[in-house]
Amino acid sequence: MAEKFDNLEEHLEKFVENIRQLGIIVSDFQPSSQTGLNQKLNFMITGLQDIEKCRQQLHDINVPLEVFEYIDQGRNPQLYTKECLERALAKNEQVKGKIDTLTKFKSLLISELGKVFPEEMAKYKAIHGDDPPS
Amino acid sequence: MTEIFSTLFGQNDAQPPSGPAALGFAPGKPPPSMPPNQAPIAAQMPGQLGDDGPLLRKPGAMNEPFYLLRELPVGNDLTGNTNLITHYNLEHAYNKFCGKKVKEKLSNFLPELPGMIDCPGVQDGSSLRSLIEKPPVCGNSFSPLTGALLTGFRLHTGPLPEQYRLMHIQPPKKKSKHKHRHHHPQDPLPLETRTDPTKKKKKKDNEPERRKKKKDKKKKKNRHSPDHPGVTGSQPNSNSLR
Repeated sequence: MAEKFDNLEEHLEKFVENIRQLGIIVSDFQPSSQTGLNQKLNFMITGLQDIEKCRQQLHDINVPLEVFEYIDQGRNPQLYTKECLERALAKNEQVKGKIDTLTKFKSLLISELGKVFPEEMAKYKAIHGDDPPS
Repeated sequence: MTEIFSTLFGQNDAQPPSGPAALGFAPGKPPPSMPPNQAPIAAQMPGQLGDDGPLLRKPGAMNEPFYLLRELPVGNDLTGNTNLITHYNLEHAYNKFCGKKVKEKLSNFLPELPGMIDCPGVQDGSSLRSLIEKPPVCGNSFSPLTGALLTGFRLHTGPLPEQYRLMHIQPPKKKSKHKHRHHHPQDPLPLETRTDPTKKKKKKDNEPERRKKKKDKKKKKNRHSPDHPGVTGSQPNSNSLR
């Protein structure tokens, strides 16, 4: 799994470095730099071809659209992961709280109903069995 | 029994009809949707429900005197009752991202990327969203540029105008934390680190004395060995051993 990403990362890094060098050549262009510029342009095309090849290995990878929003706003995309995990944990705790409360409510209700309707509750328990301790 | 139930649900006026026909429990008729306060009535007459009723009634008949009784959910279902972060082995990711402060800017995530990348992408039309919404019109393959095509990339000599020098602009880097601590000693710090500045202060208070001692030692040593290298002063015994 990680190899796929390493491969893409390597190609992207090479591509970025090539673009950086291209930028340096262009920023103060000299007639002698034309050959180098042509070479860099073709390197760029080769780099794009390499990145294109990585697509096949990564077709099963899904990226949430929200991550793109973070990047577009100049924010660290790791913040998205962080917020996702925090939200998941908070929701997990909420649901657990609800489940615990409802379990307590159920056992309380059964015990109270057992006091008022002992026969019916005996039948109910016969069908459902005794509730596991909450 | 019905009295208890009616008092429990606050419907003292309710007069339950008697007999299965009144309830719509005659053979061949499906059971009506009953309000919950009529449940004990059904409970009182378990034998009156006909065995030859429609199939819909069978589960209810099995669970007499209760109706609408469902099977309890299986206990091994994955619910919010379990810690899902632990269940999916995400503790490492949680500690990594939530344990410490994640830096806000994109340049902290991609420090090697040249150019000013912390600005919103909408400003210069470099946003990823625009790439998805309006994909560039191009061919399916990348082919190298031949000699004739490369003539289009012949550039004028000389430096680029200022407004196009985007590659050289880098986001400003923050100063080191040590300097900040010196400038703002009142910053909230963990207890362990809070003790350090006082120690440093004590050291600073004693500095003139220390310097005097150092000078004295230097003088003494110079008398014995004039070519001796510089002395640190903090470990006098170790120096004397040399």
